Amino acid sequence: MSGALARSEPLVARWTIRAEHVVMLLAAVALTVLVILPLTSLLLGSVSGESGLTLGHFREALSRRLYVQALRNSLVLGAWTALLSVVVGLPMAWAVSRTDVPGKPFIHATATIAYLTPPYLTAIAFVYLFSPNAGLVNRWVRDVLGLPSLTFNIHSMAGLVLVTVLHTFPFVYLLAASALESIDASMEESARMLGAGWWRTLRVVTVPLVAPAILAGALIAFVNAIALFGSQAIIGLPGRIFTLPTRIYALFDHPPQYGLASALSLIFVAITVLALAIQRRYLARRSYVTLSGKGHRPQVVALGRARWGALAFCCAIFLVAVLAPYVTLLAVSVSRSWGLEFWQNLTLAHYRFILFEYDVTRRAIVNSLGLAAAAATITVLLGSVIAWGDLRTRLPGMRVLDYASLVPLGLPGIVVAVALIQFWLRVPVPIYGTLLIILLAYAGRYVPLAVRSANAAFRQIDPSLEETARVTGAGWLRTFGSITLPLARPGLVAGWLLVFVPAIQELSASILLFSSGSITLAVAVYNLYETGYLGPVAALAIVTMVIIGSAIWLATRVGRAGARVERAGVAH
Amino acid sequence: MAGISIERVSKRYGTVAAVRDLSLEVRDREFVTLLGPSGCGKTTLLRLIAGLLAPDAGTIRVGGSTLSSAEAVVPPERRGMGMVFQNYAVWPHKTVYENVAFGLAVRRIRGAAARERVARVLDLVNLGGLERRFPGELSGGQQQRVALARSLVVEPQILLLDEPLSNLDAKLRERMRWELKELQRRTGITFVYVTHDQAEAMALSDRIAVLHEGMLLQIGVPREVYARPASRVVADFMGLVNLLPGRVVHAGADESLVSVAGGDPIRCAARAPLAEGAAVQVAIRPESLRLARDGVPAAVGEGALHGKLADVTFLGNLIDCHVVLDDGTRVRVQADSGAALQPGQALRLAFDGETCTVFPA
Repeated sequence: MSGALARSEPLVARWTIRAEHVVMLLAAVALTVLVILPLTSLLLGSVSGESGLTLGHFREALSRRLYVQALRNSLVLGAWTALLSVVVGLPMAWAVSRTDVPGKPFIHATATIAYLTPPYLTAIAFVYLFSPNAGLVNRWVRDVLGLPSLTFNIHSMAGLVLVTVLHTFPFVYLLAASALESIDASMEESARMLGAGWWRTLRVVTVPLVAPAILAGALIAFVNAIALFGSQAIIGLPGRIFTLPTRIYALFDHPPQYGLASALSLIFVAITVLALAIQRRYLARRSYVTLSGKGHRPQVVALGRARWGALAFCCAIFLVAVLAPYVTLLAVSVSRSWGLEFWQNLTLAHYRFILFEYDVTRRAIVNSLGLAAAAATITVLLGSVIAWGDLRTRLPGMRVLDYASLVPLGLPGIVVAVALIQFWLRVPVPIYGTLLIILLAYAGRYVPLAVRSANAAFRQIDPSLEETARVTGAGWLRTFGSITLPLARPGLVAGWLLVFVPAIQELSASILLFSSGSITLAVAVYNLYETGYLGPVAALAIVTMVIIGSAIWLATRVGRAGARVERAGVAH
Repeated sequence: MAGISIERVSKRYGTVAAVRDLSLEVRDREFVTLLGPSGCGKTTLLRLIAGLLAPDAGTIRVGGSTLSSAEAVVPPERRGMGMVFQNYAVWPHKTVYENVAFGLAVRRIRGAAARERVARVLDLVNLGGLERRFPGELSGGQQQRVALARSLVVEPQILLLDEPLSNLDAKLRERMRWELKELQRRTGITFVYVTHDQAEAMALSDRIAVLHEGMLLQIGVPREVYARPASRVVADFMGLVNLLPGRVVHAGADESLVSVAGGDPIRCAARAPLAEGAAVQVAIRPESLRLARDGVPAAVGEGALHGKLADVTFLGNLIDCHVVLDDGTRVRVQADSGAALQPGQALRLAFDGETCTVFPA
């Protein structure tokens, strides 16, 4: 007896509707709704005027001082941020991967926390410290030390660059560190054996091998820096420094200028895509860095006394990027009034206010938790289907689907919002102003992260593990559910977290899409800040960080439960 | 009935033809091996039978129903076959029990009935008592048995095996070989077995199908494929072979008189009709050549070659000699290790006509 299956039905080959085809089709539809249609609407909106097609919006965007100045500011901000990210990130990377500097876990944690901290919270913290009049450090320097010339105005391009670099240097750090670690000592030792001195070895072997990774990190820093709406609004606007995101945002004041906003958005996308294209080229070239997998033994330099200098450098970064913002926010959140004697009146009233009394912040917390969890779950499922289809099937169009899923990488958050508004205001489905449109924005923005994670996870799974299940009698859905997904769980949990963390703190897209009912955590922080509620802002900031921290802790626990699988699965 | 009829099946990957217009009959309860070098299309053919691939042309039928054609394919899960992969493909997130019971769960067989069947099949593959283990805690051979048990528990009529023993060490491989053969006899399941190891194929199979560049070159019982290869490629793949130049002296219906390497004509069986006077190649296995001291007269009807011993290697149970014939051709001879030989020594090699296979040159 060959199993009940074969006997109960006649074995006739015929075209049937297969579960995998239906699921792939659904994924294609989802991606169309999330990415392709909004982007098309954005394109259409940018060239349609009151009387048909026009290039007027682009002409205006590229000729009026208002917008040209914003474009220039964005580029200046991006360029300085990229440069300084290398200045900060590269020495840290080198110290951790190639020297005997003490406290490597601490240095690594500094970069990780700096990356995870929402940049608008860093910005707010630095305003509390360095706003021209009320900033704590400025007041201390002016009133206590009596040195008014040493005050620093955070509402300047320098201030904006400083705050932004604190968020972007980890990109350079992470890429450079992994590149430096992947160079086997033998490559450098060969050069030394052939008679090259250490300086020549550095110049001829080491630098060329890691330069692509550094450049790639700098370009990612650039792309991220210019897209951050929060810090550019919080730091830039009071100093009359407009950038592309803040200009686009301003165009939605009444009366909204959709066409011009679309044109500016597309110019913004063009810059981003150009930078990412260069980055891809250089990262692709990186493949000659020995990615063979095992046996890397990076050459470690004994720094001697200088290692304390290296540690001091890293401690300074820790002080500015982590300690200062967190201590400031914590201090503001528990003090009745912010000033040089803030510790004399400690209180938990601000926490009580935002958690129990003020329904806007309570709603914002609930909304953001739900939105981030939903967006992470949806993108991981969608990403899994797309990645699986790309890796395991020869269905026509899977390649296109895979590429389409990466498009949002080139879209700054505010552009996603403009595109969604353009699309959903044209169709008779009233989701503008609801939580749903924000969910679409998050899912669309972060689907590339999920696709990448799922792709990496599935690559670890030998196809025969799935094929065995099919031959044993399980259909596609059952195989996907009981073999593929469980085996990929550690990678998928990581992907879920990779979406959840930025989604819970998302501001750039939410700021244009929220309504009072669908307010999110970051928008609530921004609005409270705008209205001058210092204490509650800081309390809400701390709550945000606690949520992010707990999510990471929880996800690593869940991921670790899959460690047994990982251990056993290595054999395959 | 679980015979497999493969009719004129083709499969291309892009511009590469993996299987070309291939036809093959596997009988019910037969152990058939698909043998060939890597890239010959044997794994592709197995995956076509499993339904993991769809053919570009041709049909695959089992017991009267067409399972695969260019137009439509029954999905693998509805074929009721079993398959064992080269890398075992044992699911690392499931215990041995869960691995084996999976196919039963799919068929809605649960509880006591499932436990009983799993226990029985685990005993069959000598894995009783390891139900709670995870694959990561098992040796390669044990994982292989789990894969085997998993495909046997659903009692398939056809079991497909893709180089299942190639990841095991030599000793274990030999034992598993014997166990597989025994298992096939006891269960009466039709086995289709893919391997590139001709010794394994000969040890296991009822019939061997030799594949090359996507085509079936020969199918037959092991002895026949070894002793009567249909082509030079088959002769070469089935083990060491000497190819000697020859000339047809007299062409007969079944037998011909052939002069091998300029020697006296002897009677040889030919695979194809030969023309008188035609140049041919004569294939002789190294163990079919006998060493004799030069000068000792040859028996009647025996073929003879003359040469010098170039090199001799002692292999324990036999000796492996390289002999350079008088016309410069090098031949290999394997003989009993008893003979004491010196390099440079003149030798006569004797052979029988029926051990030769004649191919057109």
